[in-house]
Amino acid sequence: MKTTVRIAAGLVAIPLVVAACGGDDSTAEGSGGQISYWLWDANQLPAYQECAEAFHESGTDVQVTIEQYGWDDYWNQITTGFVGGTAPDVFTNHLARYPQFVAQDQLLALDEYVERDGVDTSIYHEGLTQLWVGQDEQRYGLPKDWDTVAIFYNSEMVDEAGLSPEDMANLEWNPDDGGSYEAAIARLTVDANGVRGDEPGFDSNNVDVYGLGLAGAGEGFGQTEWSMYAFSNGWTHTDENPWGSQFNYDDPAFTEMVDWWRGLIEKGYMPSFAIADAGVSMMESYGAGNYAMVTEGSWNTGAYIELTGVETALAPTPVGPAGERASMFNGLADSIWAGTDNPDGAWEWVRFLASAECQDIVASHAVVFPAIEESTELAEAAFSERGIDVSPFTVHVEEGTTYLAPIADKWAEVTAIMGPTMDSIMSFSADTTALSDANAQVNALFQ
Amino acid sequence: MSADTVSGKIASGRAAGQRGRYGDLRIALAFLIPSATGFVVFYLWPTLRGFYLSLTDSTLLGEASFIGFDNFERLANDPLFWNSLRVTMLYVVINIGVQTVVALGMAVLLHRLTTSVAIRGLVLLPYLVANVIVALVWFWVLDYQLGIVNQLIDWLGLGRIPFFGSENWAIPTIALINVWRHMGYTALLIFAGLQMIPKYVYEASAIDGASEWRTFWSVTLPLLRPIMALVLVLTVIGSFQIFDTVAVTTSGGPVNATRVIYFYIFELAFERFDFGYAAAMSVVLFLILGGVAIAQLKMLRAGESDLS
Amino acid sequence: MTVLTGTDRATRANDAEPVTRRQINWGRVAAWTALVVLLIVTIFPFYWMLRTSLSNNRSLAAEAGSFLPADFTLGAFRRVLGLATTQEALAEGGSGASVNFWLYLRNSIIVATVVTVGQVFFCAMAAYSFARLRWPGRDRVFFVFLTALMVPPIFTTLPNFILIRDLGLLNTFAGIVLPTLLMTPFAIFFLRQFFLGLSREIEEAAMIDGAGHVRIFFRLIIPMSSAPITTLAILTYINAWNDYMWPLLVGQDESVRVLTVALGVFRSQTPQGSPDWAGLMAATLIAALPIVVLFAVLGRRVVNSIGFSAGK
Repeated sequence: MKTTVRIAAGLVAIPLVVAACGGDDSTAEGSGGQISYWLWDANQLPAYQECAEAFHESGTDVQVTIEQYGWDDYWNQITTGFVGGTAPDVFTNHLARYPQFVAQDQLLALDEYVERDGVDTSIYHEGLTQLWVGQDEQRYGLPKDWDTVAIFYNSEMVDEAGLSPEDMANLEWNPDDGGSYEAAIARLTVDANGVRGDEPGFDSNNVDVYGLGLAGAGEGFGQTEWSMYAFSNGWTHTDENPWGSQFNYDDPAFTEMVDWWRGLIEKGYMPSFAIADAGVSMMESYGAGNYAMVTEGSWNTGAYIELTGVETALAPTPVGPAGERASMFNGLADSIWAGTDNPDGAWEWVRFLASAECQDIVASHAVVFPAIEESTELAEAAFSERGIDVSPFTVHVEEGTTYLAPIADKWAEVTAIMGPTMDSIMSFSADTTALSDANAQVNALFQ
Repeated sequence: MSADTVSGKIASGRAAGQRGRYGDLRIALAFLIPSATGFVVFYLWPTLRGFYLSLTDSTLLGEASFIGFDNFERLANDPLFWNSLRVTMLYVVINIGVQTVVALGMAVLLHRLTTSVAIRGLVLLPYLVANVIVALVWFWVLDYQLGIVNQLIDWLGLGRIPFFGSENWAIPTIALINVWRHMGYTALLIFAGLQMIPKYVYEASAIDGASEWRTFWSVTLPLLRPIMALVLVLTVIGSFQIFDTVAVTTSGGPVNATRVIYFYIFELAFERFDFGYAAAMSVVLFLILGGVAIAQLKMLRAGESDLS
Repeated sequence: MTVLTGTDRATRANDAEPVTRRQINWGRVAAWTALVVLLIVTIFPFYWMLRTSLSNNRSLAAEAGSFLPADFTLGAFRRVLGLATTQEALAEGGSGASVNFWLYLRNSIIVATVVTVGQVFFCAMAAYSFARLRWPGRDRVFFVFLTALMVPPIFTTLPNFILIRDLGLLNTFAGIVLPTLLMTPFAIFFLRQFFLGLSREIEEAAMIDGAGHVRIFFRLIIPMSSAPITTLAILTYINAWNDYMWPLLVGQDESVRVLTVALGVFRSQTPQGSPDWAGLMAATLIAALPIVVLFAVLGRRVVNSIGFSAGK
């Protein structure tokens, strides 16, 4: 996904990598037995360890071992595990990866189990369960959590700019003049002489604080970068979702949005692509006071709030021309590896992970929003105990302004085309006209 | 002590006493057993298998079928492949060029200026840090807004440089980061070569009244040629396989400016499961490296006679 | 020059002085300046690592321009050594992962030592065979061995992993060391270059005395080559110590997990997140320390002898 700081993980010493081996549990015997479970987010490790303890106390004879690997190592390890027969029995899965795994016959379809045990999939937020049903109509995961996008802003700077939290919560956006959203961004931008972006004499070549941060060009996915603008402009990635085969990157609703968005760079309200892409990450620059606001995913809430030196508050994404806000709605799930030698034990653990008991535990750690509606409320309470009002994330779920993350076969190929294309547009080495060519290439993949 | 000792008598060994037609064959084979085992099991067999896979449509996981040279045809028409070759060449030229000059300079300075072991140990320090960590440290140090280098540039009143974000700067930046990690190591290899140059050569040069500068060009450098060639064989092969630094910092971007061949191969193999195609590309890389190495080994042989 | 060590100072005194004494001049000043600049460039990132390792992650961004640690804390070192509680770690932007430092250190020492001893010894045997023995096809076989330098790791990693798995050696020290234990093309290349230059007279004298090749190898070649062998050993040790991908692949289990793999937890956690910078830097410094100590102990001899040397 984003490029800049997908730090290191699996990339040491010898190139070409690949990796795996799920510890000694990979050869576990049936009947109860050992189950290995992998996840990548260390911040969530304590929560799931607590889940495992609760699971063991629940009287099962399945023993779960949890391993955590950083993002890049994680996928290399999984891939090698598939090849070498040592992949974990159960692992946290990602939407961008699972269609390929299904195509390679690496995931176990869960339908029989779901039916056998009468698992109620209606307890999850609408849409999340559907994300994990493949093109073959089979289910490959049970939802564990969800995320949306919001504005994170430096409340001190907003205050100094004469804006109130209410202003920030009620911004409107359009692709023509940017609306009150762009006005706020301009107001928050300050040049080296202390002149604001909406004041005469503003020097757009010498900016101290950018009104809006930039994480990257967003490739073809744009989750936190541009998807909220595009959706609220009446656009979607594909003709249908999930499993679309016609992409819309050449649609005027998309190109005019991109033109507006990169226009912020020319106006000096947003850092140039070279600056953004050069950075260790948007969060560090935000923490250093270089950005007044950024658009970010809910999973990063804790990290931003805990930055010292800046006070952070949240606001929902702006209302677009369609009259509504919008946010991508994305969710993770737990999948079972097709090669597991203990599918029953693996299923028992997956079912527990997807149960209210485990998701409530996760909720209480206030790191992510669990997939079960009622557990989400617990998470909101847990966040507010930490002093964070997460309603800018949940508002989309309440108001039905979520757009499911696009799922398509061959997503890696789509990214290979759209990544460089969006990069070159945002760095002004190409125009948005390049999108028609790119879109044709993408659609050709699905012929 | 003579320079041709290093100069690799690759084709040597025919002068002294032959012991029958097979010479020392039996004892030689006995001595080779452990390493030959390692070679066959961990290098040769996987390589042959890789060659085979390059002729298939292997996805790594599913069944693969034989498709002849289709992958190579596809490769010839893949603009990203040619781009990756171009970018890799650029990287190698900058990396090896700068590294060799700096290391040579460093070695000569160490040789002529100081006997301090501490200083010589110091220059090897960067080699102790793993590639990925080196990349991360420099990523932070060279950050556009927060990096200390850009803060210094700014403080000097110059314009900040987007080291990793600009299409023009990205490859030179990554090349120089790896120069940093390897320059001391390379310098010490060259240093060893310098120590092998007999002192009478320098004495003669001094008696002739040659300046230090002239001595370097007309005495040191020619005599160093064998070891320089050897160092180059090793560093160039390593340089072509640049991967970690790119993966950690730019992931091939901006646009395709740093999509070096190894990174591209990696993406194809493990993110897109296009393993057969990735294998074909690896075969091409293997052949390129082989060609480069043979050319350099010839240079190595050419260096034999300089001192005798 | 079998022994650089003892003769080094003398050599310099003889060869350098006559040239340089005449010109204690600006050239020399410039030379020293260049050297000092190079050393500063070498050292500075290490200072930055130290500075970062003594900082609190949460404050790094806000105090990016400072040469001093941001919000000084020893927390990162406590995390690396496994002394910090999960709460402490999370509070400073670290991860909650548990770290059993001394065990991983032991494992790293075992792996690096075994690899070094095995690789250097077996490669010395091979190099002897390629450099000092005469047999048909020798140079061709050597060249085939050399091509191993060019084999892309994409070809070798997966099959080797599957082999180790099939041998039942996953999560064993044997599995971790095996691929580099027997040979690396670099080690053979390196030692062969050196062996080629050894004096033939001594060898022939020994042979007249009735010594066989095995005896010559152990009693003559190895002692005469102690300098380059030490050099190679050090380089091998560093490389084995820093290896990450292979041990990550085959040695996940706690009982054989090496330092580099264990300290990988300080890298990225989420797709867009940042690593635990302070922890990562502290981990790097601590992991490099044993090698620095090794250098300090072997000191002069190692540094002086780095390189392919040749006999007098």
